[in-house]
Amino acid sequence: MVSKRQSTHFGFRSVDAGEKAGLVRGVFDSVAGKYDVMNDLMSLGIHRLWKRFAIELAGVRPGQRVLDLASGTGDLADRFADLVGPSGLVLMTDINAAMLGAGRDRMLDRGHAGNLAFAQVDAESLPFPDDSLDLITIAFGLRNVTHKEKALASMFRALKPGGRALVLEFSKPVIKPLEKLYDLYSFHVLPRMGKLVAKDPDSYRYLAESIRMHPDQETLKAMMEAAGFERCDVHNLTGGIVAVHRGFKF
Amino acid sequence: MSLRDLALEGLEQTLNRILDLDPDARVRLAALHGRVIRIELRGAGIELNFVSGHDGRLQLLGTVEGPPDCTLSGSPIDLIRASDKTEGPAQLFAGHVRIDGDTALAQRFSEALAGIDIDWEEQLSHMTGDIAAHEIGRGVRALQREGGRVGRSARDNLSEYLTEEARLLPHHLEIEDFLRDVDTLRDDAERLEARIALLEGRMGGDKA
Ligand SMILES: C[S@@+](CC[C@H](N)C(=O)[O-])C[C@H]1O[C@@H](n2cnc3c(N)ncnc32)[C@H](O)[C@@H]1O
Repeated sequence: MVSKRQSTHFGFRSVDAGEKAGLVRGVFDSVAGKYDVMNDLMSLGIHRLWKRFAIELAGVRPGQRVLDLASGTGDLADRFADLVGPSGLVLMTDINAAMLGAGRDRMLDRGHAGNLAFAQVDAESLPFPDDSLDLITIAFGLRNVTHKEKALASMFRALKPGGRALVLEFSKPVIKPLEKLYDLYSFHVLPRMGKLVAKDPDSYRYLAESIRMHPDQETLKAMMEAAGFERCDVHNLTGGIVAVHRGFKF
Repeated sequence: MSLRDLALEGLEQTLNRILDLDPDARVRLAALHGRVIRIELRGAGIELNFVSGHDGRLQLLGTVEGPPDCTLSGSPIDLIRASDKTEGPAQLFAGHVRIDGDTALAQRFSEALAGIDIDWEEQLSHMTGDIAAHEIGRGVRALQREGGRVGRSARDNLSEYLTEEARLLPHHLEIEDFLRDVDTLRDDAERLEARIALLEGRMGGDKA
């Protein structure tokens, strides 16, 4: 099956499956420096509330082992490292060296030491033993992953029984009028902001397009169930612009 | 996601900004890294879970899974008084504030926060934004019953906050509603688009 050429989405374009990772890397190499500023701007600061909501659903306890995938600059990892306490461990990871570097600098600036580790990791093939982690999170990362099923299966495998996975990701607005407005925002306002602030409209156009191509709530939930997750639930935030999917391994 | 999250985010940011100015308090809190301290506001039906970070900054969670390491519960006024540097310890031991779980932890936490310069009254009033009106009423009445023990002005101020904020807060903070108010937002987005176009024009002009 490896020899067969498969195509996948890169935003609205159809590309070779083998090509996508490189294209995604280009996007994040380009935005790494301005990532935090853009995050606040683009979401009007609401991404903080989305993350806060996900953190409560994560139910992290002291002493736990947490893996954060596609960490970027580490908003989730930063909080988890405080919640697991000195006896816990948070693994902050990203496939992209530039993003991970930016994130690592930020975490070291904040004085994290001892319970936070960094590694370059591809969500599709996790280099962790079976049944080894209490929680795996991926925030605004899954839509960039070429083979999402592989990533979900890999997450399931590495979780301890009793552990859980959380996917925080853009989703499909459940309020009709909101959808139109959201299109206007994503395809007109966003790339221009990207041009003004990050000097990179194409990367932000990709962001908007990749959001639209990402599986909707029901589809992603079914994918998680297919990967083995149980008691999956979906929480729509801001009218479904963003959703948290949660699944357990028992 | 709701007003509650927004209020938690707001209070957390305020607290941490104040803690940033007080290295001493942060050192003490850092020693409590990962410990969960719950504060229950009796009468108001609100619970706040504080988790100390590695650097003595605090995270505020609306809910945690499993039991906290300790719980401080009391009426808002008692808790506010307990956070006072001089009155605080007396308040704790007079039994107005109830402590469950790790008592030493509760005390270390209160002591660390006792010195910081924060208007708890105002902060707590933000937390009442999304609780039902009758609950607020109940809280206020409970406060009034306690009037004998409590400084009159403090009580009046707090009641005022609670009632006023109940009306005021949604106004400032109801983001979800704001987002649903699509017409307004659409106009805003269009204006923003126009403004960005203008800025782009200006930037282009600069270069030329
Ligand atoms: C939009 S950022 C999200 C960062 C952070 N989690 C947050 O919520 O702010 C997406 C990240 O996904 C990473 N990424 C893309 N493909 C990945 C993969 N296959 N495995 C792990 N990370 C990946 C990118 O490098 C980028 O840092």
